[in-house]
Formats: sequence, C-alpha cells, structure tokens
Amino acid sequence: MTTAARALRGGRSDWRLHALSVFSLAVAFVCLASALLVVVNLQAVEARWARAGRASIYLKDGVADDDVAALRRALAQTPGVSGTRYLSQADARKDVLGDGVAGALAALPPEAFPASVELDFTPELGDESIATLVAKLRSVPSVESVETYQRWTERLAALLRGGVAASAVLAIVVFAAVVSVVASTMRLALQRRRREIEVLKLVGATDAYVRGPFVLEGAMEGVLGAIAALLLLGLLFSIVRGRFDADLAMLIGMAPVFLPWPFALGLTALGAMLGAIAALAGVRRFAAV
Amino acid sequence: MAASLFRPLLRGGPRFDDAAARRPILTFEAVYKAYRADQPVLRGMSLVVERGEFVFVTGPSGAGKSTLLRLLYRAEQVDDGRILFLGRDIARLTDGSIPFLRRNMGIVFQDFKLVAGWTVYENVAVSLEVLGLPSRLVRTRVGEALERVGLAGRGPDRAEVLSGGEQQRVAIARAIVGEPAILLADEPTGNLDPQLAIDILGLFEEIHEAGTTVLFSTHDRTLLEVRPRRVVVLDEGKAIDVPQGLAVPGIRMAS
Ligand SMILES: Nc1ncnc2c1ncn2[C@@H]1O[C@H](COP(=O)(O)OP(=O)(O)OP(=O)(O)O)[C@@H](O)[C@H]1O
Ligand SMILES: [Mg+2]
Repeated sequence: MTTAARALRGGRSDWRLHALSVFSLAVAFVCLASALLVVVNLQAVEARWARAGRASIYLKDGVADDDVAALRRALAQTPGVSGTRYLSQADARKDVLGDGVAGALAALPPEAFPASVELDFTPELGDESIATLVAKLRSVPSVESVETYQRWTERLAALLRGGVAASAVLAIVVFAAVVSVVASTMRLALQRRRREIEVLKLVGATDAYVRGPFVLEGAMEGVLGAIAALLLLGLLFSIVRGRFDADLAMLIGMAPVFLPWPFALGLTALGAMLGAIAALAGVRRFAAV
Repeated sequence: MAASLFRPLLRGGPRFDDAAARRPILTFEAVYKAYRADQPVLRGMSLVVERGEFVFVTGPSGAGKSTLLRLLYRAEQVDDGRILFLGRDIARLTDGSIPFLRRNMGIVFQDFKLVAGWTVYENVAVSLEVLGLPSRLVRTRVGEALERVGLAGRGPDRAEVLSGGEQQRVAIARAIVGEPAILLADEPTGNLDPQLAIDILGLFEEIHEAGTTVLFSTHDRTLLEVRPRRVVVLDEGKAIDVPQGLAVPGIRMAS
C-alpha cells in the first residue's frame, strides 16, 4: 500500500477533523493572499505612474494659441526635455473618459478638464533639474499649475512599503497559524490512530513508514487551505472588480490585477511545506516516531 | 549501520548455515531488568530456547512474563545481561534496526491489538505491507494466512464486528503471515472463554508443527495441562524449567 493510499485511508476516517483544519488554514491564507493582492496592485499603480519622466503643464483658461506655441518652442530647446504634446480641453476630456462616454464622470463639463502641455523628460534629467524647470514654468503667466507626478509616485512607494511590511507581518501570523492548526490536527489524528501506529511499529514498520501518511496529510491540508483561500479571494476579487472596474480603472489608470500565478503557486507551495513540517513535528512530538 | 540491521528473514531455513541452524534461536544470559530500582523484575534470568521449540512461560501475576517478551521485541531495554536472538544481542541493536528485529517475530497479545476501523484483510496485510511486498503477493499470502486461522473469506469484514475468538485469530494471522522465526504470545487466551482458549492453543500448536518456534505466556493452568510441553516458570526474577509430570509450583488457578 502506498503512502498516499495510507494517507487517504487515514484522512477519510478523520475527514471532519481535516475539513475543519483546512477551513482554518484557508482563513489564515486569505489574509495573507489579500495583503499580497493589495501589494501587487499598488506596485502596478506605482509602475504605471513612475513610467518614464513626465509632467503635465496645466494651462489657464483661454490661453492664446500663440502663447502655447511659444511655450512649446522654449521647452523644446530646454536640455533634458525630449518632447512636448499639446492637449486641448476636448482632448483631455476624451483622454480621461474615452470615446464611449459613460459613468458618473460623463456628466462633468469640459471646463473640468484643463488644456495642458505634456512634457517628456529624458531619463538622464535629475530630480533637481526637474525642480528648477518646474519652478521656472510656474512663473510663466499662461501656466496654471505643473504636475510632476513625483509626489504620487513617492506616496505610492511609501504605501507600497507599508503594504509589504504588513504582508510580512501577516506571513508570520499565517506561519504560526498553519503550524499550530496542522500540529494540533495531527495531535488529534494521532490520538485517534494510536492503535494503528502501535500495530505498525509492532509489525516492524520504520519510523519513516509510520510518519509518511501523516506528513502527506499535513502537506495536503496546507495545499487545500491555500487553494481554498485563493478561490475565495478570486471570488471576492471578481465581485469587487465587477462593481468598480469602470470608474476605478479610469481614476487609477489601470484595471486591478489578481495575484500572478507565481504568487498563487508560491502560496500553495508554502502551504504544502508548512503543513508537512508541522505534521512531522506533531508526529515526532506526540507519537515519538 | 547496515551491518547491524536485521535482514528480514521471511522464510527461515535455506538462508542459514548449518552451524547457525544448530544454535539456539533464543538465549537469555543473566538478564536484569527493573522499572524501579527497589523492585527488580528480572534478576539474573537465564533461558535457552531451541529452534522449533514450543515453550510455555508462566508465573504469578507481576512475575515479569510480559516484561520478558517486551525485552525480546525491544519495547524495553535490559539493564544488564544479554539476549541473543538469531545470534545477535538484542540489547545492542540501534533504534534504527528495531523494526528489522520485529520483522523476524510475530507477536500476539491478550487484547488482540487490531485496528478496529480496518478490515480483517487490512489488519493482516499490514505485516507484509511494511516490508514493501507487491500487492499481488500480499493478497495471496494474506489469503493463505486467513485460511490457516480458519477465517477464509472473512477478509472484507471490518475487524470490530468479529467475535473475540475471531479477532484473536486475525491477530494470529497477522503474526504469522510474514512467516517469522518466532511467535511470541502474551496471554493470548486471557480474554477468551475456556473452550475458545483451547481452540486458540490448538491453532498455536498447528503453527508450531509447521516449524515456528513459539513462546507462549499464560497463567491459565488448564492450558499447561492439555499436552505435555516445556513449561518455564518465572519467579523471583528467574526462569526455572518445570520437570515434566510435576505440578507447576507457585501458580494460582486461572480465575
Ligand atoms: N512500564 C512499567 N513501569 C513500571 N513498572 C512496570 C512497568 N511494566 C511492568 N511493571 C511492573 O513490573 C512487574 C512485572 O510486570 P509484568 O507485566 O511483566 O508482569 P506479568 O508477569 O506479565 O504479569 P501478569 O500476569 O499480570 O500479566 C510488575 O510489578 C509491574 O507492576
Ligand atoms: Mg503480563
């Protein structure tokens, strides 16, 4: 009889116990997976906003075309500026809302979207040079404001660091939860299967043979807990995405993304590993094999 | 470590050289064992069991019959002395080779020690599965063993639905299915009524006739008198052979 078959026989007799512990593990993993999901999305947003160096020069209402042209000429000759693009009020509205005007933002008047000159910097341009340039631009009469997006990137980066730290803490909590849940499940399973273990040892089973099914059961619990958590999170994600997609994507500039498969796979592998280790520790501690 | 491992000897005989075959299968040499320092159980106990013998081990309750058997399958360790089994000192085996020692023994207990939720078949097959035998071989040999104990066809039944006598037969099948060199029985009839006890003893005798050495611990006097057999009494921490035809001293009648 293979280890898997023996694990299945043992697991079937205690399926209620295992179902309960898989559920507990799933709850723990949902916490970790949600934190990861938030981090992944923050990172995507940050990448989106940090993309190349650019700035928007928002123009005052009713600026003459000549002024705009002069400004663009001057900018084109500024070192470190690789390109400029003029966005009229109509362009700006279209840029944000898209062609199919729909949703709550469709009601916004054209004035809500100021005309702007979009600036592209060469990557070599340092933060200080950008700051000087921005200061100069702010003193130009036709310029209303200048947005470098740097503040956003910085804020997002800080948020991201916070998210990573929170995930790390959650990961530790999940480690502890998995180990204690699996170990105590194993303790109960071992107690219920004391006779089986006694018999195995009497007929000459090696310790590894006795341990095998329990370790496999622990690993399976971890895997099932992680998979259940991912499924649950996927469900929650699709609900949230379905409700907020249109507006959220417009504001953020990207659609929310689910955990990429290496993360999902890693989470499952983590479940398997922790489950196996916890089961092994439980068997050694409570059955001395 | 490999050198100190017991090789699983599923079928005795051909693998032994003549000299080994003539040596006693089991020798206790001045064995001391105490669970508590002030109450030694075995005090310099010596005993020789020849290959193919049937030996009753008897003695008052608490004399150390179970202890003697537990030392043999290394559930306990001697304090002093040697126990030679198949020429090797059990006391000096590493923990890792205990499973290989036990694969040479069949062990039967008073409380059967079956896994209640398993089928009769599974309870017997476990002895062969730990050896990693292919399942086809396991099936045929479990079938043979169940037939030997009179339970042919009961394989699919759950062990817990069987009567006490039947359960003990399953336990015996589990003990002999690996064709061990020695069969150890610790009061195997203690939980059975007198007629069943005689039946079970008969089963052990059949197994013995087929060539297995049997060490049978009991304090049931009626069993000792069924047939003239070698009887060893444990008392005062020592083993004494009872001369044939004499009453067994120091033993109460079974209650
Ligand atoms: N694990 C243990 N710890 C402490 N004392 C023990 C242990 N096992 C046995 N003893 C003691 O050792 C002595 C011998 O016990 P053992 O079980 O070998 O006797 P026995 O001859 O089998 O008795 P019975 O006929 O009642 O089964 C007893 O006094 C018992 O209390
Ligand atoms: Mg006893």
